[in-house]
Amino acid sequence: MIELKGVTRRFGDAVAVDDIDLTIETGEVCVLVGSSGCGKSTTLRMINRLLPSTSGEILVDGEDINKVDPEALRLNMGYAIQSTGLFPHWTVARNIGVVPNLLKWPARKRDERVNELLILLGLDPATDAIKYPHQLSGGQAQRVGVARALAGDPNILLMDEPFGALDAITRENLQQEMLRIQRQLNKTTVFVTHDIDEALKLATRIAVMDQGRIIQHDTPEAILRRPASAFVENLIGKGDRGLKLLALRTVGELMEGHSQPREPEPGADGLNEADSLRFALSVMVWENTLQLPVYNGAGEEVGTVKREHLLQGGA
Amino acid sequence: MLPNRVLSNRVLSNRVVLALALAAFGCVWLLNLGVVQPNRIVTGTGYGLYAATGWLGAGIVSSLLLVVVVLATRPVHKRYEVLAALLTVALMTLPLLLEVFALHKLPTDSAYARIGIGAGFWCLAFFLALILLETLGQLRASRRFQLSTVLLIVAGWWLCASREGLSSLSLIREYTNRADQFAQALAVHLSLSLSAVAISAVLAFALALAMVRRERMRRPLLGLVSFMQTIPSLALFGLLIAPLGALSAAFPFLQALGIRGIGWAPALLALIAYSLLPMVRNTYVALIEVPESVVDAGRGMGMSERQIFMQVKLPLALPVIIEGVRITTIQAIGLTAVAALIGAGGFGTFIFQGLGQAAMDLVLLGALPTVFLALAADAILSALKFKEASR
Repeated sequence: MIELKGVTRRFGDAVAVDDIDLTIETGEVCVLVGSSGCGKSTTLRMINRLLPSTSGEILVDGEDINKVDPEALRLNMGYAIQSTGLFPHWTVARNIGVVPNLLKWPARKRDERVNELLILLGLDPATDAIKYPHQLSGGQAQRVGVARALAGDPNILLMDEPFGALDAITRENLQQEMLRIQRQLNKTTVFVTHDIDEALKLATRIAVMDQGRIIQHDTPEAILRRPASAFVENLIGKGDRGLKLLALRTVGELMEGHSQPREPEPGADGLNEADSLRFALSVMVWENTLQLPVYNGAGEEVGTVKREHLLQGGA
Repeated sequence: MLPNRVLSNRVLSNRVVLALALAAFGCVWLLNLGVVQPNRIVTGTGYGLYAATGWLGAGIVSSLLLVVVVLATRPVHKRYEVLAALLTVALMTLPLLLEVFALHKLPTDSAYARIGIGAGFWCLAFFLALILLETLGQLRASRRFQLSTVLLIVAGWWLCASREGLSSLSLIREYTNRADQFAQALAVHLSLSLSAVAISAVLAFALALAMVRRERMRRPLLGLVSFMQTIPSLALFGLLIAPLGALSAAFPFLQALGIRGIGWAPALLALIAYSLLPMVRNTYVALIEVPESVVDAGRGMGMSERQIFMQVKLPLALPVIIEGVRITTIQAIGLTAVAALIGAGGFGTFIFQGLGQAAMDLVLLGALPTVFLALAADAILSALKFKEASR
């Protein structure tokens, strides 16, 4: 658990972060979102003491971070940044092994961990491990960046716009990977972004920041349904917030389940349990149907979803 | 038929080799190959290629260049391999031309008569070396291969120079008269320039670190080392004589150490002063140009400042730092020659003696090894930098 109590940070006369209170529960993904210069990165960098706070208190699992040695503190917090910060003179494997090395893990344990992470992030241990950062694509480099942040098995993950410099498709892929990895590992994560869609997709709770203050701190659904101010309303966009709400839930949550999985009808088009309701609606509009079968990962038909339900109870 | 055209273009003609071969041909026929001097001071009589070596020598040189021209313009199979082999052998055996010349033209009745090397010979050697360089480039020869080629040629010249036939060469006469002094000059030259580089490397590293840590130190420190660079070398050598002389007179233990107004002490100080600018500048730039994001990532992951410096900043800065050492070493080897004027010794001694006696071959005896040392230092440090940069 991370607690910020009355934390302020000034740069000269300018106030970057203005007396904020924020509690991030263990295992949750807290996304700090706001336009550039709103203090979200500054907040993140105060949590691992890359920046000292001017006043206030930051506690990690109840302990004041100023009472902990900064290097020891950071070794227990994975850190990934937009520009990756990979060491250009080291191979991918050595980059990922930085924190295990700093923690003085035995070589064997470290190498096993590096392999495990390469596989977890969809990289090839045989070919990618021996590459140098300049030989990687942007998406691959960022995967390595995330792997490196996870390598020491930290309790906390700090991510500063890690996917900000990637193209839309690569970013989308990495967000999916993030969700998958987070379901597996359950790290307490603080994630900074300026992209509200990314925030809605990844967050268990979102903190909207503006001019150094937290305007609203709530679940994605609550932010969409009850924006606390015109600023938040503007940020989420009035035009498609209904669709954004639909995007938060999966087909599996709304479908009418069959008593027992069935063999799919040959040639029938359908949805996957994990697809979002937004996607389901889009397919229905496109195919002009009133209902669609839903399949599970094994390809069995497990239920149906109706357009009527989707429109009434989806959002 | 694009691939064919590209192929034929690549194979058909190498204009660089062609132009160099034609230039060599012109020079070797128009300029004097060698000079016969009645003694070491009097200007001698020059002989062209044909006059110096007869039909045999002129024929061999001309047909060699003709073959090079043919290889440069015709699509001969494996022509660059052939060219490389041919030129290496030609360069190795080039001094034999002078031997033939000595055999033909050296008067046997005079003990003081000697032969000098003419402009034609130097030009021929120079152009053949350039063609070999181009050929090795076309072959994409590895560093090891290039180095072995150079070593072969040096060994060839060494063997030729130690033959009886070339003992009448003026340059070799000057050398045999001073073999002991030559060895000593080499030792002094090397130890002076290398210790200056080593000491200034340590100093420059400390200064660059101070500049990185404290931004406001940057201007005064860079100003100081730049200022030292602007003092003419001769003036700086001279300026140090008085204070060092006074110090040495005041403190006898300094005198016991060999520190006096002239000699190695002022030379070393001046060389260090000159070495500081390139070394400080490169080290400083190399250290501050390590990307901020890389340092930020290292710090954010829990590396200590010391670990960041040793494992990240220094390795990333090393190629540029080595580049600074390379420039400084070449410069110091050159400047050490001037330091002979204040009695520091080294190859400069021969240069200034030769100038004083109007004996050009004695000047060469000092200048050629100085150039050779600088080239060797350049090759070694370039290889080191390349190795560091490719890691």
